[in-house]
Amino acid sequence: MMITKDFSKKRLIILALLLAGLSVIPHVSGLSTITLFSRIFIMAIYAMSYDILRGYMGFINLGHAMFFGTGAYAVGVMFRNFGSTLPVFLIAIVFSVVFSSIAAFIMGKIVFRSGGKGPVVVVAGAMTTLALGEIVRHTAERWRSVTMGADGLSYRIPEIFSNRILFYYYALIFMIVMTLVLRQFVLSPTGRVLMSIRENEQRAEFLGYDTQKYKLIGLQVAGIASGLSGVMFGVLNRFANTELLSVQQTLNALLMTLVGGTGTLYGAIIGSGFVNIVQSQLLNFRSVHPVFERWLLFFGAMYVIVVIFMPRGFVGLYYTLTDKQKAKVQKSAVGKS
Amino acid sequence: MSSLLKASNVESYIGLYTILHDVNLEINKGEAVALLGRNGAGKTTFLKTLMNLVSTRKGSIELEGRSIVGVPTHKIAKMGIGYVPEDYGVFDALTIEENLRVAMWKEDKETLERVDSVLDLFPDLKVAYKRMASTLSGGQRQMLSISRALVNENRIILIDEPSKGLAPVVIEKLAHALKAISKDATVLLVEQNFAMACAVADKYYIISEGRTVNNGDIKDLMQNKELQHKHLGVM
Repeated sequence: MMITKDFSKKRLIILALLLAGLSVIPHVSGLSTITLFSRIFIMAIYAMSYDILRGYMGFINLGHAMFFGTGAYAVGVMFRNFGSTLPVFLIAIVFSVVFSSIAAFIMGKIVFRSGGKGPVVVVAGAMTTLALGEIVRHTAERWRSVTMGADGLSYRIPEIFSNRILFYYYALIFMIVMTLVLRQFVLSPTGRVLMSIRENEQRAEFLGYDTQKYKLIGLQVAGIASGLSGVMFGVLNRFANTELLSVQQTLNALLMTLVGGTGTLYGAIIGSGFVNIVQSQLLNFRSVHPVFERWLLFFGAMYVIVVIFMPRGFVGLYYTLTDKQKAKVQKSAVGKS
Repeated sequence: MSSLLKASNVESYIGLYTILHDVNLEINKGEAVALLGRNGAGKTTFLKTLMNLVSTRKGSIELEGRSIVGVPTHKIAKMGIGYVPEDYGVFDALTIEENLRVAMWKEDKETLERVDSVLDLFPDLKVAYKRMASTLSGGQRQMLSISRALVNENRIILIDEPSKGLAPVVIEKLAHALKAISKDATVLLVEQNFAMACAVADKYYIISEGRTVNNGDIKDLMQNKELQHKHLGVM
């Protein structure tokens, strides 16, 4: 486990400097950079929610976007129908939490029902989540009166969120608060049980844990975090469409988690930063050469490169390098003595 | 003395194969019982049957008078049966500390005191407390696995072949620790190493081809060379 309760002085100083740097960005950057960073903060939580499943539970959920997309639709539909006010935003949050919790519970009851173990069960579970996610996406597409179908839904947002600079800070605070909450979760006894399930479910069972119950809790926590990031994304984007519910959106979370480092939580922030900046740059290059219209090709290649050369992502790479460095120092100290 | 664990006419199977045909065993509170037998006799399967990791077809298994046949594994564990499997069963990606903490049902004063006394029993673990389980030696992994079963107030500890694959020096250390454990806890020990079983247990059961064929006081078995040779292959 790479995340620890201990915060060294050095770490705290780095975090404080990072926070100070991030606080300055809106005052020295253009609108597009501010929006890009707001997006990075929100998507980091979405990726973190996926990391809870993939990195801490060893569960592959291909329908994870259903929580994110529903969160975005919740604000969109409510702002359109009940007005773009702060109370409506709060109701959308409550709706997203309740929906994500119930949907994750149902999903978990279906997927974890077999209770089996091994790669076949993992793949079968992933396929079931894919099917469930597609059901939600198709329902949203057909329910035109509410979602506007494939055309998508545009809406006005409350005055308090319309200032991009202010929203940047809201997104930053959202990321910090959610990171602390999720960090606390993975460090809790429940988080430890989830990790033991990831390692070996049967062993967790004979230690006395009802693994089905714990997996349901993990899925619900991940679903709620994903839903809340969807709500924030909906406010940032001022537009929601069924793409937000698609498997592509789930794969985005998977890519961000892979790039940053699975099972590290903080890796999701780095992964979100890297993927969103690369995506934004590739889109900018469209005017340079038409090949950049096919930016998804580059993303596909990135998946392959990361899996082959950096299976533990950036954070994993960092830990490998520092471990090597420590070993080298120890070896030279032994040599001298 | 009241019986803590009682198995009567137990028959269990894996897939199409019946492994246990007729196993009878009774353990009283505070006893240390060795389950002996040759390779493939059904000793490990019996422990797995007790934990419901292998299904029971016939017979009864009772823990303090309550049937545990068909009860989910996690509930059996919560009823107070600690299980130390043959392959250690530690979580490689977690540190020693995390392995112990994940095994704790509560983190109250009593449990933490129990952890301290377990670490006193296995000082090797104390030294390597923050190390990943994947970096531990076979002996250390076995110590960790046994420690995990001791952090909760279990009624009985099932230990499957703790000496398997370990160096004689480590086996000696383990035997010493297990003897100390058996003074306070009820232990069912599956063991091929006869010397180790004798060092730890008070009573024995011999299992052969899925059937319990003999039982009694371990001191009597130590004297009975013929029985040792017949069922355990001890020369």
